[in-house]
Amino acid sequence: MKKFTGLVSALALTVGFASASFAETSMGIVVKIGGIPWFNAMEDGIKRRADELGVEAEMIGPVSADPALQVQAIEDLIAKGVDVIGVVPNDEAALEPVLKKARDAGIVVISHEGPGLENVDWNFELASADGFGEAHAQLLSDKVSEGGKYAVYVGSLTVPLHNAWADAAIAWMKENRPDLEIVGDRYGVAENVDDSRSTALDLIAANPDLKGFLAFGSQGPIGAGRAVEERRKTGDIHVMGPFSPGQGRKMIHSGVLTGGYMWNPAQAGEVFVTLGNMLANGETVEAGADIPGLGVVNPDVEARDIITDNLLEINKDTVDELAEKGL
Amino acid sequence: MTALTKRLSQLKSGAGGENAGLLVMLAVLVLVFSIASPRFLTGANLGSMGFQMPLLGLLTLAMLAPILSGGLNLAIVYTANICGLTLAWTIMQFGGAEAGIGAFILGGVLAMIVGAIAGAVMGAVVAYVGAHPILVSLAMMIFLRGLGEFLTRGGDISGFPDYMRVLGHGELAGIPVPLILFGLIAFGWHVLLRRTPHGFSVYMTGSNMKATEYAGLNAKRTLVLIYTLSGLLCAIAGILMAARFNSVRVGHGEAMLLITVLACFLGGIDPFGGHGRVAPVILALIILQVLSSGLNLIGANQHLATAVWGLFLIAVMVLRSDQIRQMVNFFSRKDI
Repeated sequence: MKKFTGLVSALALTVGFASASFAETSMGIVVKIGGIPWFNAMEDGIKRRADELGVEAEMIGPVSADPALQVQAIEDLIAKGVDVIGVVPNDEAALEPVLKKARDAGIVVISHEGPGLENVDWNFELASADGFGEAHAQLLSDKVSEGGKYAVYVGSLTVPLHNAWADAAIAWMKENRPDLEIVGDRYGVAENVDDSRSTALDLIAANPDLKGFLAFGSQGPIGAGRAVEERRKTGDIHVMGPFSPGQGRKMIHSGVLTGGYMWNPAQAGEVFVTLGNMLANGETVEAGADIPGLGVVNPDVEARDIITDNLLEINKDTVDELAEKGL
Repeated sequence: MTALTKRLSQLKSGAGGENAGLLVMLAVLVLVFSIASPRFLTGANLGSMGFQMPLLGLLTLAMLAPILSGGLNLAIVYTANICGLTLAWTIMQFGGAEAGIGAFILGGVLAMIVGAIAGAVMGAVVAYVGAHPILVSLAMMIFLRGLGEFLTRGGDISGFPDYMRVLGHGELAGIPVPLILFGLIAFGWHVLLRRTPHGFSVYMTGSNMKATEYAGLNAKRTLVLIYTLSGLLCAIAGILMAARFNSVRVGHGEAMLLITVLACFLGGIDPFGGHGRVAPVILALIILQVLSSGLNLIGANQHLATAVWGLFLIAVMVLRSDQIRQMVNFFSRKDI
């Protein structure tokens, strides 16, 4: 038993060194899952900004994307007595009771990618649905000078966010580029690389004047790009949409993929700390305020949403750097 | 040598030894964490742990009984989810957040019936078809998950009446309500397993099913009953989960499945069935909760917490082996 207790105390002491001294403001940010590149980048952002501001901030990434684990992590943070809790929710509804508990305890609650949450001080987004869709439409418009046709992919016809992007993009095209016509309706294939590719092959065969693909859904641009490459249409047909830089790196350099937009998780991490520190110090978020990382904001006080357009372009110049970060 | 055998048998038979070891571990952990973080021994943290542990605890008890009978129930989390869905669906039929307490009681009863049926089916297949419990419960787990995902289309049902918050987040005389619920059920579970003929039958079935049957006990009926009770406990866990999260979705709590197995083995349950008690398992649960909350408090990495849990289990198994005990006893003899 002695040996055993020795082992236990040694273990616990080792991790005990991880505890830092108490700074003025302390915050804990609970994300969907730990250990994946997206949230590793967010953690970098959190640490960097916390060092700059001289506050204490830690990120908690549960071992699986289970809302029950997020609830536990938030309960532990309440017990710890932090000043600010940040959260990127897996399941908005499951977090409401525990976030209410946090706010009742006088803790500032901030969320990211949780527009439906009610028990928050503020929710912030780095990309609005309209802005994101329009940015891609604009990119298509810039690349295609003459008239023709274009096709739109979404992840699936039931993904609300993708369809909101597609709505905005199609509306923008209708208004600004009446000479470019949409092919059919949107295609719900963009979560699957093979479906995206075969649909693209069919569309290219059926529409000789096809000029571009707007693919919303992480696998859509990759699949459509492969089809364009196979048909040797590089440069004639442009493919754009959000995708993982690591996956699309080669295709960007060969010109098959034109590019797309994403938002920067590290920046989201920084905003968590900036905003948390502001609110903990009693500052309020007013319309027209310039918040570092968000820019000039125009908050929706009713819904407690701060929605901005801080898009990060993925193109030949930026893709390598983004891919290096593992995104 | 006689002293050694006596000591050994004492250690093996005595749940006292089991409890003492775990109590020492617990004491050391509490000591280390209270040194590492001044906030560990505060009411807020103890309360937070008291709210977190019961859910895992109920699921662990649901896992414990089938293991004692020589089986395993991998379907516990999804049984709990389906029962939660039953409750949620009933409440929605009576107006969601405006539903009266009667709707909750009806939903709770229906949930328990669903849980008991799911368990009974598993028990019957294990007992009368003779299929291996791992396969049977795995099949049930896949079935329930698929059914739940089909019924909800992967979404969630949320928005329950306010009084359900009391069950999930309320306190009674400063003690978290979920903890009180868990305490009562754990006590009932202990009495059922140690003090009733059925409990005796469970242990016997777990030790040797053939011999139990020859001895005139109805081992098959015992198996059906134990899985039914396990399903019933899952239903209670599902109701608690709905109250705590104010929403139900297939997949809530799925990370807990293997941790319940860990808690059972850490609490000295024989993986092959037939031996083990409720009290050490509860101590094991408290230890796991202290580790989890303590590591969170000092800001350690979540993945490290999982690694530490794994190391604990390995360490416990090594220390429990007869060889180590004999070695320890040999070297601690004073006459050499």
